[in-house]
Amino acid sequence: MTHDLALDIAIGLFIAAGLVGTYRLLRGPALADRIIAMDVTLISFMGAIAVHAAKVDSTQNLIILVVLAIIGFTATVSAARFLQHEHAKPTS
Amino acid sequence: MRAVIDIVAASLMITGGTVALLAALGLLKFETAYARFHAAGKASPVAFLIAALGAALSLGPAGAGQLAVAAGAMILTLPVGVHLLFRAVHRTTSTQLLIDELAPAEAAAADAAADAKAAAEQAAD
Repeated sequence: MTHDLALDIAIGLFIAAGLVGTYRLLRGPALADRIIAMDVTLISFMGAIAVHAAKVDSTQNLIILVVLAIIGFTATVSAARFLQHEHAKPTS
Repeated sequence: MRAVIDIVAASLMITGGTVALLAALGLLKFETAYARFHAAGKASPVAFLIAALGAALSLGPAGAGQLAVAAGAMILTLPVGVHLLFRAVHRTTSTQLLIDELAPAEAAAADAAADAKAAAEQAAD
């Protein structure tokens, strides 16, 4: 009972982190801020998935974490390369 | 024994959530892009690592393997991605920094590349 409550609190903390990250993702102002905010949001929800798996005591959803970790890296790298080519000259 | 492991796992997961929230707050409060990367790129993988440790304690060997693969992939790849982001921002913006050790290095690299190109053209002629 107390254990479930503790895990609920942990999930809530991760979701709060994800929501704060989403705010920065929507707000910007620069493209780089959005990219790093996307990373933080993704990692926060990955943490929430891990804690949820511990709460329901099932290993079924854990493969999602492996896939998300790799896809998150690909997304960050491609977005960084895009940023570098998009603003090749010093603008801001 | 089981109760002790559950308590340790739950406190690890709450710690991970707190660290994730701190990383997100750093993202929210800091002013410059570099400071935001500093807060987000270091704290958030640590947050996931702590929470994954707690979940692995709670789930046992079957879950621990998959969690270890996910956490290992993140620890190996995320610093690389954030480093690329840092470099892209450094190359595309002209913000004045107090200490900038990358700019002279990049200028030297560009000079060396230009020299090599000139030497190659001379050799071709």
